Amino acid sequence: MGRVGIGLALAAFAVALTLPQFAGPFWMGLVTQMLIFGLLALSVDLLLGQTGLFSLCHASFFAVAAYTTAILQVRYAVPTLLAAPAGLVAGTLLALGFGLAVRTRGVYFILITIALGYIVWGVLHRWSSFTGGDNGVTNVPFPAVGELRIGSHTEYYYFVLAVVIACALVYRVLIASPFGLSLRGIKASETRTRSLGYRTGLHLYAAFVLSGLLASLAGVLYVYYNRFVNPVSASFPISVEATLMAIIGGSGTIAGPFIGSGIILGLRNWVSSFFELYATVMGVVFIATVLWAPDGIVGLVNRLRAARARRKAL
Amino acid sequence: MTPPAIEVGALTKEFGGLRAVDGISLSVATGERRVLIGPNGAGKTTLFHCITGTLSPSAGRVALFGRDVTALAESRRTALGMGRTFQISNVFANLSLAENLVLALIGTGRRKWIMHRPVGAYPDLRRRALEGLEHVGLRQRADESVKHLSYGERRQLELALALNSNPKVLFLDEPCAGLSPGERQRISKMIGALPRDITLVMIEHDMDVALGLADRVTVLHRGRIILEGSPAEVQANPEVRDVYFGHV
Ligand SMILES: Nc1ncnc2c1ncn2[C@@H]1O[C@H](COP(=O)(O)OP(=O)(O)O)[C@@H](O)[C@H]1O
Ligand SMILES: [Mg+2]
Repeated sequence: MGRVGIGLALAAFAVALTLPQFAGPFWMGLVTQMLIFGLLALSVDLLLGQTGLFSLCHASFFAVAAYTTAILQVRYAVPTLLAAPAGLVAGTLLALGFGLAVRTRGVYFILITIALGYIVWGVLHRWSSFTGGDNGVTNVPFPAVGELRIGSHTEYYYFVLAVVIACALVYRVLIASPFGLSLRGIKASETRTRSLGYRTGLHLYAAFVLSGLLASLAGVLYVYYNRFVNPVSASFPISVEATLMAIIGGSGTIAGPFIGSGIILGLRNWVSSFFELYATVMGVVFIATVLWAPDGIVGLVNRLRAARARRKAL
Repeated sequence: MTPPAIEVGALTKEFGGLRAVDGISLSVATGERRVLIGPNGAGKTTLFHCITGTLSPSAGRVALFGRDVTALAESRRTALGMGRTFQISNVFANLSLAENLVLALIGTGRRKWIMHRPVGAYPDLRRRALEGLEHVGLRQRADESVKHLSYGERRQLELALALNSNPKVLFLDEPCAGLSPGERQRISKMIGALPRDITLVMIEHDMDVALGLADRVTVLHRGRIILEGSPAEVQANPEVRDVYFGHV
Protein backbone atom coordinates (compact mmCIF):
# COMPACT_ATOMS: atom_id res chain seq x y z
CA MET A 1 0.00 0.00 0.00
CA GLY A 2 1.36 3.39 -0.98
CA ARG A 3 1.11 6.61 1.00
CA VAL A 4 -2.15 7.47 -0.73
CA GLY A 5 -3.53 4.04 0.12
CA ILE A 6 -2.71 4.40 3.79
CA GLY A 7 -4.17 7.91 3.80
CA LEU A 8 -7.38 6.70 2.20
CA ALA A 9 -7.62 3.77 4.60
CA LEU A 10 -7.18 6.08 7.60
CA ALA A 11 -9.74 8.53 6.23
CA ALA A 12 -12.21 5.70 5.65
CA PHE A 13 -11.57 4.47 9.17
CA ALA A 14 -12.19 7.92 10.65
CA VAL A 15 -15.45 8.26 8.72
CA ALA A 16 -16.51 4.75 9.74
CA LEU A 17 -15.86 5.51 13.42
CA THR A 18 -17.85 8.74 13.47
CA LEU A 19 -20.58 7.68 11.06
CA PRO A 20 -23.25 6.93 13.71
CA GLN A 21 -22.92 10.58 14.85
CA PHE A 22 -24.44 11.95 11.68
CA ALA A 23 -26.12 9.05 9.86
CA GLY A 24 -29.62 7.88 10.69
CA PRO A 25 -30.72 4.29 11.30
CA PHE A 26 -31.52 3.67 7.62
CA TRP A 27 -28.04 4.66 6.51
CA MET A 28 -26.37 2.81 9.37
CA GLY A 29 -28.23 -0.35 8.35
CA LEU A 30 -27.13 0.07 4.76
CA VAL A 31 -23.50 0.61 5.74
CA THR A 32 -23.55 -2.44 8.02
CA GLN A 33 -24.84 -4.51 5.11
CA MET A 34 -22.17 -3.07 2.83
CA LEU A 35 -19.51 -4.27 5.25
CA ILE A 36 -21.03 -7.74 5.61
CA PHE A 37 -21.54 -8.27 1.88
CA GLY A 38 -18.13 -6.74 1.22
CA LEU A 39 -16.73 -9.54 3.36
CA LEU A 40 -18.68 -12.09 1.30
CA ALA A 41 -17.33 -10.48 -1.89
CA LEU A 42 -13.82 -10.62 -0.41
CA SER A 43 -14.25 -14.35 0.21
CA VAL A 44 -15.29 -14.83 -3.42
CA ASP A 45 -12.31 -12.80 -4.52
CA LEU A 46 -9.86 -14.95 -2.55
CA LEU A 47 -10.62 -17.47 -5.29
CA LEU A 48 -11.31 -15.16 -8.23
CA GLY A 49 -8.65 -12.52 -7.70
CA GLN A 50 -5.90 -14.69 -6.25
CA THR A 51 -6.31 -18.09 -7.92
CA GLY A 52 -8.45 -17.29 -10.96
CA LEU A 53 -11.22 -19.74 -9.99
CA PHE A 54 -14.68 -18.36 -10.73
CA SER A 55 -16.97 -19.75 -8.04
CA LEU A 56 -20.72 -19.22 -8.02
CA CYS A 57 -21.70 -21.14 -4.86
CA HIS A 58 -20.52 -18.83 -2.11
CA ALA A 59 -24.07 -18.00 -1.06
CA SER A 60 -24.19 -21.65 0.11
CA PHE A 61 -21.52 -21.21 2.78
CA PHE A 62 -22.96 -17.83 3.72
CA ALA A 63 -26.47 -19.29 4.14
CA VAL A 64 -25.54 -22.58 5.81
CA ALA A 65 -23.53 -20.67 8.41
CA ALA A 66 -26.40 -18.21 8.91
CA TYR A 67 -28.99 -20.98 9.25
CA THR A 68 -26.87 -23.04 11.64
CA THR A 69 -26.33 -20.10 13.95
CA ALA A 70 -29.96 -19.00 13.72
CA ILE A 71 -31.44 -22.45 14.38
CA LEU A 72 -29.13 -23.06 17.34
CA GLN A 73 -29.85 -19.63 18.85
CA VAL A 74 -33.58 -19.55 18.27
CA ARG A 75 -34.73 -23.15 18.61
CA TYR A 76 -32.20 -24.59 21.00
CA ALA A 77 -31.32 -21.41 22.93
CA VAL A 78 -27.63 -22.13 22.42
CA PRO A 79 -25.54 -19.13 23.52
CA THR A 80 -23.75 -16.98 20.94
CA LEU A 81 -20.38 -18.21 22.12
CA LEU A 82 -21.27 -21.66 20.74
CA ALA A 83 -23.84 -20.83 18.06
CA ALA A 84 -21.62 -18.44 16.12
CA PRO A 85 -18.59 -20.78 15.94
CA ALA A 86 -20.96 -23.64 15.04
CA GLY A 87 -22.12 -21.58 12.07
CA LEU A 88 -18.52 -21.11 10.97
CA VAL A 89 -17.82 -24.82 11.35
CA ALA A 90 -20.94 -25.83 9.38
CA GLY A 91 -20.15 -23.47 6.49
CA THR A 92 -16.53 -24.55 6.43
CA LEU A 93 -17.44 -28.26 6.48
CA LEU A 94 -19.61 -27.61 3.46
CA ALA A 95 -16.63 -25.93 1.78
CA LEU A 96 -14.51 -29.00 2.55
CA GLY A 97 -17.00 -31.01 0.50
CA PHE A 98 -17.68 -28.51 -2.28
CA GLY A 99 -13.96 -27.82 -2.55
CA LEU A 100 -13.58 -31.07 -4.47
CA ALA A 101 -14.87 -29.01 -7.40
CA VAL A 102 -11.27 -27.77 -7.82
CA ARG A 103 -10.65 -31.02 -9.67
CA THR A 104 -12.25 -29.21 -12.60
CA ARG A 105 -11.30 -25.94 -14.26
CA GLY A 106 -12.80 -23.19 -16.34
CA VAL A 107 -16.41 -23.44 -17.38
CA TYR A 108 -16.82 -26.88 -15.74
CA PHE A 109 -15.85 -25.42 -12.40
CA ILE A 110 -18.38 -22.61 -12.84
CA LEU A 111 -21.15 -25.04 -13.79
CA ILE A 112 -20.44 -27.41 -10.90
CA THR A 113 -20.45 -24.60 -8.36
CA ILE A 114 -23.74 -23.30 -9.77
CA ALA A 115 -25.24 -26.78 -9.44
CA LEU A 116 -23.96 -27.20 -5.87
CA GLY A 117 -25.39 -23.81 -4.97
CA TYR A 118 -28.81 -24.82 -6.28
CA ILE A 119 -28.73 -28.01 -4.21
CA VAL A 120 -28.20 -26.04 -1.01
CA TRP A 121 -30.89 -23.55 -1.93
CA GLY A 122 -33.26 -26.44 -2.73
CA VAL A 123 -32.61 -28.18 0.58
CA LEU A 124 -33.16 -25.00 2.60
CA HIS A 125 -36.29 -24.31 0.62
CA ARG A 126 -37.81 -27.82 0.74
CA TRP A 127 -36.76 -29.22 4.08
CA SER A 128 -39.23 -26.95 5.80
CA SER A 129 -39.65 -29.00 8.99
CA PHE A 130 -36.06 -28.15 9.87
CA THR A 131 -35.30 -24.94 8.01
CA GLY A 132 -38.68 -23.27 8.19
CA GLY A 133 -39.08 -23.36 4.40
CA ASP A 134 -39.80 -20.03 2.77
CA ASN A 135 -40.29 -18.32 6.10
CA GLY A 136 -36.86 -19.34 7.28
CA VAL A 137 -35.80 -18.76 10.86
CA THR A 138 -36.97 -15.58 12.58
CA ASN A 139 -36.38 -13.73 15.84
CA VAL A 140 -32.64 -14.18 15.98
CA PRO A 141 -31.44 -12.17 19.00
CA PHE A 142 -28.46 -9.82 19.07
CA PRO A 143 -25.26 -11.65 19.97
CA ALA A 144 -24.45 -11.86 23.67
CA VAL A 145 -21.56 -13.30 25.61
CA GLY A 146 -22.45 -13.68 29.30
CA GLU A 147 -23.29 -10.23 30.62
CA LEU A 148 -21.80 -8.58 27.57
CA ARG A 149 -24.53 -8.08 25.05
CA ILE A 150 -25.00 -5.99 21.98
CA GLY A 151 -28.01 -3.83 22.58
CA SER A 152 -28.50 -1.74 19.45
CA HIS A 153 -27.86 -1.62 15.75
CA THR A 154 -25.22 1.03 16.33
CA GLU A 155 -23.32 -1.24 18.71
CA TYR A 156 -23.66 -4.08 16.24
CA TYR A 157 -22.31 -1.82 13.49
CA TYR A 158 -19.16 -1.23 15.54
CA PHE A 159 -18.83 -4.96 16.13
CA VAL A 160 -19.08 -5.70 12.40
CA LEU A 161 -16.60 -2.92 11.66
CA ALA A 162 -14.09 -4.45 14.09
CA VAL A 163 -14.49 -7.94 12.59
CA VAL A 164 -14.14 -6.60 9.04
CA ILE A 165 -10.97 -4.67 9.89
CA ALA A 166 -9.50 -7.74 11.59
CA CYS A 167 -10.36 -9.85 8.54
CA ALA A 168 -8.81 -7.32 6.17
CA LEU A 169 -5.58 -7.32 8.18
CA VAL A 170 -5.41 -11.13 8.28
CA TYR A 171 -6.29 -11.32 4.59
CA ARG A 172 -3.50 -8.89 3.83
CA VAL A 173 -0.93 -11.13 5.47
CA LEU A 174 -2.41 -14.22 3.80
CA ILE A 175 -2.11 -12.89 0.27
CA ALA A 176 1.40 -11.56 0.93
CA SER A 177 2.52 -14.92 2.36
CA PRO A 178 4.37 -17.65 0.45
CA PHE A 179 1.02 -19.45 0.22
CA GLY A 180 -0.65 -16.37 -1.28
CA LEU A 181 2.18 -15.90 -3.76
CA SER A 182 1.80 -19.56 -4.74
CA LEU A 183 -1.89 -18.96 -5.49
CA ARG A 184 -1.03 -16.05 -7.79
CA GLY A 185 1.58 -18.27 -9.44
CA ILE A 186 -1.08 -20.88 -10.13
CA LYS A 187 -3.35 -18.18 -11.51
CA ALA A 188 -0.61 -16.95 -13.87
CA SER A 189 0.52 -20.40 -15.04
CA GLU A 190 -0.66 -23.62 -13.50
CA THR A 191 1.57 -25.72 -15.77
CA ARG A 192 4.64 -23.83 -14.59
CA THR A 193 3.78 -24.11 -10.89
CA ARG A 194 3.32 -27.87 -11.34
CA SER A 195 6.70 -28.23 -12.93
CA LEU A 196 8.20 -26.27 -10.03
CA GLY A 197 6.90 -28.84 -7.55
CA TYR A 198 3.48 -27.51 -6.56
CA ARG A 199 0.54 -29.85 -6.13
CA THR A 200 -1.71 -27.17 -7.50
CA GLY A 201 -4.95 -29.02 -6.75
CA LEU A 202 -4.09 -29.08 -3.06
CA HIS A 203 -3.26 -25.38 -3.02
CA LEU A 204 -6.52 -24.52 -4.75
CA TYR A 205 -8.44 -26.78 -2.36
CA ALA A 206 -6.91 -25.03 0.64
CA ALA A 207 -7.79 -21.63 -0.86
CA PHE A 208 -11.35 -22.82 -1.49
CA VAL A 209 -11.82 -23.94 2.12
CA LEU A 210 -10.38 -20.67 3.49
CA SER A 211 -12.66 -18.78 1.17
CA GLY A 212 -15.61 -20.85 2.45
CA LEU A 213 -14.63 -20.00 6.01
CA LEU A 214 -14.64 -16.28 5.21
CA ALA A 215 -18.03 -16.56 3.47
CA SER A 216 -19.35 -18.38 6.55
CA LEU A 217 -18.15 -15.54 8.77
CA ALA A 218 -20.07 -13.11 6.58
CA GLY A 219 -23.12 -15.36 6.97
CA VAL A 220 -22.94 -15.37 10.76
CA LEU A 221 -22.51 -11.57 10.84
CA TYR A 222 -25.46 -11.28 8.49
CA VAL A 223 -27.89 -13.36 10.53
CA TYR A 224 -27.27 -11.34 13.70
CA TYR A 225 -27.79 -8.14 11.75
CA ASN A 226 -30.82 -9.24 9.79
CA ARG A 227 -32.44 -11.05 12.76
CA PHE A 228 -33.84 -13.66 10.39
CA VAL A 229 -32.71 -15.78 7.48
CA ASN A 230 -34.60 -17.40 4.61
CA PRO A 231 -33.63 -19.37 1.47
CA VAL A 232 -33.04 -16.16 -0.51
CA SER A 233 -29.69 -15.87 1.26
CA ALA A 234 -28.60 -19.13 -0.42
CA SER A 235 -29.90 -18.20 -3.84
CA PHE A 236 -27.92 -17.92 -7.04
CA PRO A 237 -28.35 -14.11 -7.35
CA ILE A 238 -26.52 -13.66 -4.04
CA SER A 239 -23.51 -15.59 -5.38
CA VAL A 240 -23.62 -13.58 -8.59
CA GLU A 241 -23.90 -10.27 -6.74
CA ALA A 242 -20.95 -11.11 -4.51
CA THR A 243 -18.89 -11.86 -7.61
CA LEU A 244 -20.04 -8.65 -9.32
CA MET A 245 -19.09 -6.68 -6.21
CA ALA A 246 -15.54 -8.04 -6.41
CA ILE A 247 -15.25 -7.35 -10.14
CA ILE A 248 -16.81 -3.89 -10.09
CA GLY A 249 -14.80 -2.76 -7.08
CA GLY A 250 -11.53 -4.28 -8.22
CA SER A 251 -10.69 -7.97 -8.18
CA GLY A 252 -7.38 -8.93 -6.60
CA THR A 253 -7.45 -6.04 -4.12
CA ILE A 254 -8.73 -5.83 -0.55
CA ALA A 255 -10.62 -2.54 -0.81
CA GLY A 256 -12.22 -3.49 -4.14
CA PRO A 257 -14.84 -5.96 -2.89
CA PHE A 258 -15.97 -3.47 -0.22
CA ILE A 259 -16.18 -0.62 -2.73
CA GLY A 260 -18.13 -2.89 -5.06
CA SER A 261 -20.43 -3.88 -2.22
CA GLY A 262 -21.06 -0.22 -1.47
CA ILE A 263 -21.85 0.55 -5.11
CA ILE A 264 -24.16 -2.40 -5.66
CA LEU A 265 -26.09 -2.16 -2.40
CA GLY A 266 -26.28 1.60 -2.76
CA LEU A 267 -27.62 1.32 -6.29
CA ARG A 268 -30.07 -1.37 -5.28
CA ASN A 269 -31.52 0.76 -2.53
CA TRP A 270 -31.60 3.92 -4.56
CA VAL A 271 -32.74 2.54 -7.91
CA SER A 272 -35.30 0.03 -6.66
CA SER A 273 -37.10 2.76 -4.78
CA PHE A 274 -38.33 4.28 -8.06
CA PHE A 275 -37.39 1.84 -10.79
CA GLU A 276 -38.62 -1.69 -11.38
CA LEU A 277 -35.77 -2.75 -13.57
CA TYR A 278 -33.10 -3.01 -10.91
CA ALA A 279 -31.56 -6.08 -12.59
CA THR A 280 -31.29 -4.15 -15.87
CA VAL A 281 -29.44 -1.32 -14.17
CA MET A 282 -27.04 -3.83 -12.61
CA GLY A 283 -26.47 -5.36 -16.04
CA VAL A 284 -25.62 -1.94 -17.50
CA VAL A 285 -23.25 -1.19 -14.61
CA PHE A 286 -21.53 -4.51 -15.17
CA ILE A 287 -21.12 -3.99 -18.91
CA ALA A 288 -19.80 -0.48 -18.30
CA THR A 289 -17.26 -1.93 -15.87
CA VAL A 290 -16.09 -4.56 -18.32
CA LEU A 291 -15.76 -1.95 -21.08
CA TRP A 292 -14.23 1.01 -19.26
CA ALA A 293 -12.83 -0.32 -16.01
CA PRO A 294 -11.96 -3.99 -16.49
CA ASP A 295 -9.90 -3.88 -13.30
CA GLY A 296 -12.78 -2.38 -11.36
CA ILE A 297 -12.94 0.96 -9.59
CA VAL A 298 -9.61 0.43 -7.85
CA GLY A 299 -7.96 -0.38 -11.19
CA LEU A 300 -9.55 2.65 -12.81
CA VAL A 301 -8.33 4.98 -10.06
CA ASN A 302 -4.81 3.54 -10.34
CA ARG A 303 -4.84 4.03 -14.10
CA LEU A 304 -6.01 7.63 -13.80
CA ARG A 305 -3.34 8.36 -11.22
CA ALA A 306 -0.64 6.78 -13.39
CA ALA A 307 -1.83 8.87 -16.36
CA ARG A 308 -1.69 12.04 -14.27
CA ALA A 309 1.80 11.18 -13.05
CA ARG A 310 2.90 10.67 -16.68
CA ARG A 311 1.44 14.03 -17.66
CA LYS A 312 3.30 15.70 -14.82
CA ALA A 313 6.54 14.03 -15.86
CA LEU A 314 6.28 15.42 -19.39
CA MET B 1 27.26 -49.47 -10.45
CA THR B 2 25.16 -46.40 -9.80
CA PRO B 3 21.91 -46.32 -11.74
CA PRO B 4 21.61 -43.83 -14.62
CA ALA B 5 20.10 -40.43 -13.85
CA ILE B 6 17.37 -41.02 -16.39
CA GLU B 7 16.25 -44.30 -17.84
CA VAL B 8 13.40 -44.36 -20.34
CA GLY B 9 12.01 -47.74 -21.40
CA ALA B 10 9.93 -48.34 -24.53
CA LEU B 11 8.12 -45.04 -24.12
CA THR B 12 5.21 -44.33 -26.44
CA LYS B 13 2.89 -41.34 -26.61
CA GLU B 14 -0.04 -41.24 -28.98
CA PHE B 15 -2.21 -38.25 -29.82
CA GLY B 16 -5.29 -39.76 -31.42
CA GLY B 17 -3.81 -41.79 -34.22
CA LEU B 18 -0.47 -39.99 -34.22
CA ARG B 19 2.48 -41.65 -32.50
CA ALA B 20 4.51 -38.62 -31.47
CA VAL B 21 6.87 -40.82 -29.46
CA ASP B 22 7.21 -44.36 -30.71
CA GLY B 23 8.86 -46.81 -28.33
CA ILE B 24 11.86 -44.76 -27.26
CA SER B 25 14.42 -46.23 -24.87
CA LEU B 26 17.11 -43.96 -23.57
CA SER B 27 19.60 -43.88 -20.73
CA VAL B 28 21.44 -40.79 -19.48
CA ALA B 29 24.27 -41.26 -16.98
CA THR B 30 24.59 -39.08 -13.90
CA GLY B 31 26.54 -35.93 -14.74
CA GLU B 32 26.21 -36.49 -18.46
CA ARG B 33 25.30 -33.76 -20.92
CA ARG B 34 23.00 -35.14 -23.50
CA VAL B 35 21.64 -33.22 -26.46
CA LEU B 36 18.56 -34.29 -28.40
CA ILE B 37 18.33 -33.17 -31.99
CA GLY B 38 15.88 -33.91 -34.76
CA PRO B 39 13.65 -32.07 -37.21
CA ASN B 40 10.52 -30.22 -36.12
CA GLY B 41 7.76 -32.59 -35.09
CA ALA B 42 10.21 -35.41 -34.32
CA GLY B 43 8.69 -35.81 -30.86
CA LYS B 44 11.42 -34.21 -28.74
CA THR B 45 9.17 -31.94 -26.72
CA THR B 46 6.60 -34.71 -26.25
CA LEU B 47 9.35 -36.99 -24.96
CA PHE B 48 10.33 -34.27 -22.45
CA HIS B 49 6.71 -33.88 -21.35
CA CYS B 50 6.46 -37.62 -20.71
CA ILE B 51 9.71 -37.82 -18.78
CA THR B 52 8.95 -34.85 -16.53
CA GLY B 53 5.31 -35.85 -16.02
CA THR B 54 3.65 -32.95 -17.82
CA LEU B 55 1.98 -35.62 -19.98
CA SER B 56 1.44 -39.24 -19.09
CA PRO B 57 2.77 -41.69 -21.68
CA SER B 58 0.54 -44.16 -23.51
CA ALA B 59 3.03 -46.93 -22.68
CA GLY B 60 6.52 -47.38 -21.30
CA ARG B 61 8.33 -46.38 -18.13
CA VAL B 62 10.55 -43.64 -16.75
CA ALA B 63 13.08 -44.06 -13.95
CA LEU B 64 14.97 -41.33 -12.09
CA PHE B 65 18.21 -42.52 -10.43
CA GLY B 66 16.88 -46.08 -10.59
CA ARG B 67 13.51 -45.22 -9.07
CA ASP B 68 10.44 -45.84 -11.19
CA VAL B 69 8.57 -42.53 -11.40
CA THR B 70 6.13 -43.41 -14.19
CA ALA B 71 3.15 -43.26 -11.83
CA LEU B 72 4.29 -40.14 -9.96
CA ALA B 73 2.77 -36.71 -10.49
CA GLU B 74 4.89 -34.01 -12.07
CA SER B 75 5.23 -32.17 -8.74
CA ARG B 76 6.62 -35.32 -7.08
CA ARG B 77 9.16 -35.78 -9.84
CA THR B 78 10.26 -32.18 -9.35
CA ALA B 79 10.65 -32.83 -5.64
CA LEU B 80 12.84 -35.83 -6.50
CA GLY B 81 15.14 -33.68 -8.60
CA MET B 82 13.76 -33.08 -12.08
CA GLY B 83 13.72 -29.54 -13.41
CA ARG B 84 12.75 -28.20 -16.80
CA THR B 85 12.28 -25.26 -19.08
CA PHE B 86 9.56 -24.92 -21.69
CA GLN B 87 10.05 -24.41 -25.40
CA ILE B 88 7.58 -21.53 -25.27
CA SER B 89 8.52 -19.38 -22.29
CA ASN B 90 6.26 -20.23 -19.38
CA VAL B 91 6.89 -17.60 -16.73
CA PHE B 92 4.57 -15.84 -14.30
CA ALA B 93 3.55 -12.84 -16.37
CA ASN B 94 1.73 -10.81 -13.71
CA LEU B 95 4.39 -11.11 -11.06
CA SER B 96 7.72 -9.39 -10.57
CA LEU B 97 10.95 -11.15 -11.54
CA ALA B 98 11.88 -11.59 -7.90
CA GLU B 99 8.48 -13.14 -7.15
CA ASN B 100 8.99 -15.52 -10.07
CA LEU B 101 12.23 -16.71 -8.53
CA VAL B 102 10.73 -17.01 -5.04
CA LEU B 103 8.08 -19.32 -6.47
CA ALA B 104 10.83 -21.50 -7.89
CA LEU B 105 12.74 -21.46 -4.60
CA ILE B 106 9.83 -22.55 -2.39
CA GLY B 107 8.19 -24.96 -4.85
CA THR B 108 9.84 -28.15 -3.65
CA GLY B 109 9.87 -27.41 0.09
CA ARG B 110 7.27 -26.88 2.76
CA ARG B 111 7.50 -23.11 2.81
CA LYS B 112 4.96 -22.77 0.01
CA TRP B 113 2.34 -23.57 2.68
CA ILE B 114 3.25 -20.71 5.04
CA MET B 115 0.21 -18.47 5.44
CA HIS B 116 0.84 -16.40 8.54
CA ARG B 117 3.85 -14.30 7.52
CA PRO B 118 4.53 -12.25 4.39
CA VAL B 119 7.21 -13.37 1.95
CA GLY B 120 9.17 -10.28 3.02
CA ALA B 121 9.66 -11.84 6.46
CA TYR B 122 12.10 -14.32 4.89
CA PRO B 123 15.15 -12.29 3.83
CA ASP B 124 16.95 -15.41 2.58
CA LEU B 125 14.30 -15.85 -0.11
CA ARG B 126 14.85 -12.33 -1.36
CA ARG B 127 18.62 -12.77 -1.27
CA ARG B 128 18.56 -16.07 -3.15
CA ALA B 129 16.05 -14.71 -5.67
CA LEU B 130 18.38 -11.79 -6.40
CA GLU B 131 21.34 -14.17 -6.72
CA GLY B 132 19.36 -16.26 -9.18
CA LEU B 133 18.54 -13.16 -11.22
CA GLU B 134 22.13 -11.96 -11.06
CA HIS B 135 23.19 -15.27 -12.56
CA VAL B 136 21.11 -14.64 -15.70
CA GLY B 137 21.88 -10.91 -15.79
CA LEU B 138 18.43 -9.69 -14.73
CA ARG B 139 19.13 -8.47 -11.22
CA GLN B 140 18.57 -4.80 -12.07
CA ARG B 141 15.01 -5.63 -13.07
CA ALA B 142 14.13 -7.69 -9.99
CA ASP B 143 11.09 -5.61 -9.02
CA GLU B 144 9.70 -5.01 -12.47
CA SER B 145 6.77 -6.96 -13.80
CA VAL B 146 7.58 -9.77 -16.21
CA LYS B 147 5.20 -8.05 -18.61
CA HIS B 148 7.96 -5.57 -19.42
CA LEU B 149 10.55 -8.19 -20.40
CA SER B 150 11.68 -8.73 -23.96
CA TYR B 151 11.43 -12.15 -25.57
CA GLY B 152 15.09 -12.87 -24.92
CA GLU B 153 14.87 -11.78 -21.29
CA ARG B 154 11.93 -14.11 -20.80
CA ARG B 155 14.06 -16.98 -22.06
CA GLN B 156 16.66 -16.05 -19.47
CA LEU B 157 14.07 -15.92 -16.72
CA GLU B 158 12.72 -19.26 -17.90
CA LEU B 159 16.15 -20.75 -17.34
CA ALA B 160 16.51 -19.05 -13.96
CA LEU B 161 13.21 -20.59 -12.81
CA ALA B 162 14.40 -24.08 -13.67
CA LEU B 163 17.81 -23.57 -12.05
CA ASN B 164 16.34 -22.23 -8.83
CA SER B 165 14.09 -25.22 -8.27
CA ASN B 166 17.41 -26.89 -7.46
CA PRO B 167 17.31 -29.77 -9.96
CA LYS B 168 19.60 -32.78 -10.11
CA VAL B 169 18.52 -33.47 -13.68
CA LEU B 170 17.74 -30.48 -15.85
CA PHE B 171 15.71 -30.66 -19.07
CA LEU B 172 16.12 -27.68 -21.38
CA ASP B 173 13.77 -27.39 -24.34
CA GLU B 174 15.46 -25.23 -26.99
CA PRO B 175 16.78 -22.63 -24.53
CA CYS B 176 18.35 -20.57 -27.30
CA ALA B 177 15.54 -20.66 -29.85
CA GLY B 178 14.68 -17.25 -31.23
CA LEU B 179 17.48 -15.40 -29.46
CA SER B 180 19.88 -12.92 -31.00
CA PRO B 181 23.44 -14.22 -31.55
CA GLY B 182 24.62 -12.26 -28.52
CA GLU B 183 21.94 -13.62 -26.21
CA ARG B 184 22.48 -17.10 -27.62
CA GLN B 185 26.14 -16.98 -26.78
CA ARG B 186 25.46 -15.73 -23.30
CA ILE B 187 22.95 -18.47 -22.53
CA SER B 188 25.01 -21.31 -23.99
CA LYS B 189 28.00 -20.11 -22.01
CA MET B 190 25.88 -20.12 -18.90
CA ILE B 191 24.64 -23.63 -19.60
CA GLY B 192 28.19 -24.78 -20.25
CA ALA B 193 29.24 -23.36 -16.88
CA LEU B 194 26.63 -25.34 -14.93
CA PRO B 195 28.19 -27.59 -12.30
CA ARG B 196 28.85 -31.13 -13.46
CA ASP B 197 26.73 -32.67 -10.73
CA ILE B 198 23.66 -31.47 -12.62
CA THR B 199 22.76 -33.96 -15.32
CA LEU B 200 21.71 -32.09 -18.43
CA VAL B 201 19.31 -33.15 -21.17
CA MET B 202 18.82 -30.50 -23.79
CA ILE B 203 16.92 -30.11 -27.02
CA GLU B 204 18.82 -27.80 -29.33
CA HIS B 205 18.59 -26.93 -32.98
CA ASP B 206 21.74 -24.86 -33.20
CA MET B 207 24.42 -27.39 -34.12
CA ASP B 208 27.28 -25.25 -32.86
CA VAL B 209 25.67 -24.92 -29.45
CA ALA B 210 24.61 -28.57 -29.41
CA LEU B 211 27.92 -30.07 -30.44
CA GLY B 212 29.92 -27.73 -28.23
CA LEU B 213 28.03 -28.75 -25.11
CA ALA B 214 27.15 -32.40 -25.62
CA ASP B 215 28.93 -35.46 -24.29
CA ARG B 216 26.57 -37.54 -26.35
CA VAL B 217 23.92 -36.74 -28.93
CA THR B 218 20.64 -38.55 -29.61
CA VAL B 219 18.94 -38.03 -32.94
CA LEU B 220 15.16 -38.36 -33.13
CA HIS B 221 13.10 -38.70 -36.25
CA ARG B 222 9.36 -39.41 -36.42
CA GLY B 223 9.18 -40.46 -32.80
CA ARG B 224 12.12 -42.87 -32.95
CA ILE B 225 15.81 -42.74 -32.19
CA ILE B 226 17.77 -43.09 -35.39
CA LEU B 227 21.21 -42.59 -33.92
CA GLU B 228 23.03 -42.07 -30.67
CA GLY B 229 26.70 -41.28 -30.39
CA SER B 230 29.43 -38.72 -29.74
CA PRO B 231 29.08 -35.34 -31.43
CA ALA B 232 31.72 -36.32 -33.98
CA GLU B 233 29.99 -39.59 -34.83
CA VAL B 234 26.66 -37.84 -35.28
CA GLN B 235 28.12 -35.16 -37.49
CA ALA B 236 29.77 -37.74 -39.70
CA ASN B 237 26.69 -39.90 -40.13
CA PRO B 238 25.13 -39.74 -43.62
CA GLU B 239 21.62 -40.66 -42.41
CA VAL B 240 21.60 -37.75 -39.96
CA ARG B 241 22.81 -35.41 -42.66
CA ASP B 242 19.93 -36.56 -44.73
CA VAL B 243 17.03 -36.23 -42.23
CA TYR B 244 18.38 -33.44 -40.13
CA PHE B 245 20.80 -31.19 -41.90
CA GLY B 246 18.69 -31.60 -45.01
CA HIS B 247 15.87 -29.83 -43.23
CA VAL B 248 17.73 -26.86 -41.87
N1 LIG C 1 -0.99 -31.95 -27.48
C1 LIG C 1 -0.86 -32.47 -28.73
N2 LIG C 1 -1.93 -32.94 -29.38
C2 LIG C 1 -1.82 -33.48 -30.61
N3 LIG C 1 -0.67 -33.59 -31.27
C3 LIG C 1 0.46 -33.14 -30.68
C4 LIG C 1 0.41 -32.55 -29.37
N4 LIG C 1 1.68 -32.20 -29.02
C5 LIG C 1 2.45 -32.55 -30.06
N5 LIG C 1 1.73 -33.10 -31.06
C6 LIG C 1 2.26 -33.63 -32.32
O1 LIG C 1 3.27 -34.57 -31.99
C7 LIG C 1 4.36 -34.46 -32.88
C8 LIG C 1 5.63 -34.21 -32.10
O2 LIG C 1 5.59 -32.91 -31.58
P1 LIG C 1 6.73 -32.32 -30.65
O3 LIG C 1 7.02 -33.30 -29.58
O4 LIG C 1 6.35 -30.97 -30.23
O5 LIG C 1 7.97 -32.25 -31.67
P2 LIG C 1 9.36 -31.50 -31.54
O6 LIG C 1 9.49 -30.95 -30.17
O7 LIG C 1 10.38 -32.55 -31.84
O8 LIG C 1 9.35 -30.43 -32.59
C9 LIG C 1 4.02 -33.35 -33.86
O9 LIG C 1 3.50 -33.94 -35.03
C10 LIG C 1 2.94 -32.57 -33.15
O10 LIG C 1 2.07 -31.97 -34.06
MG1 LIG D 1 9.68 -28.99 -29.55
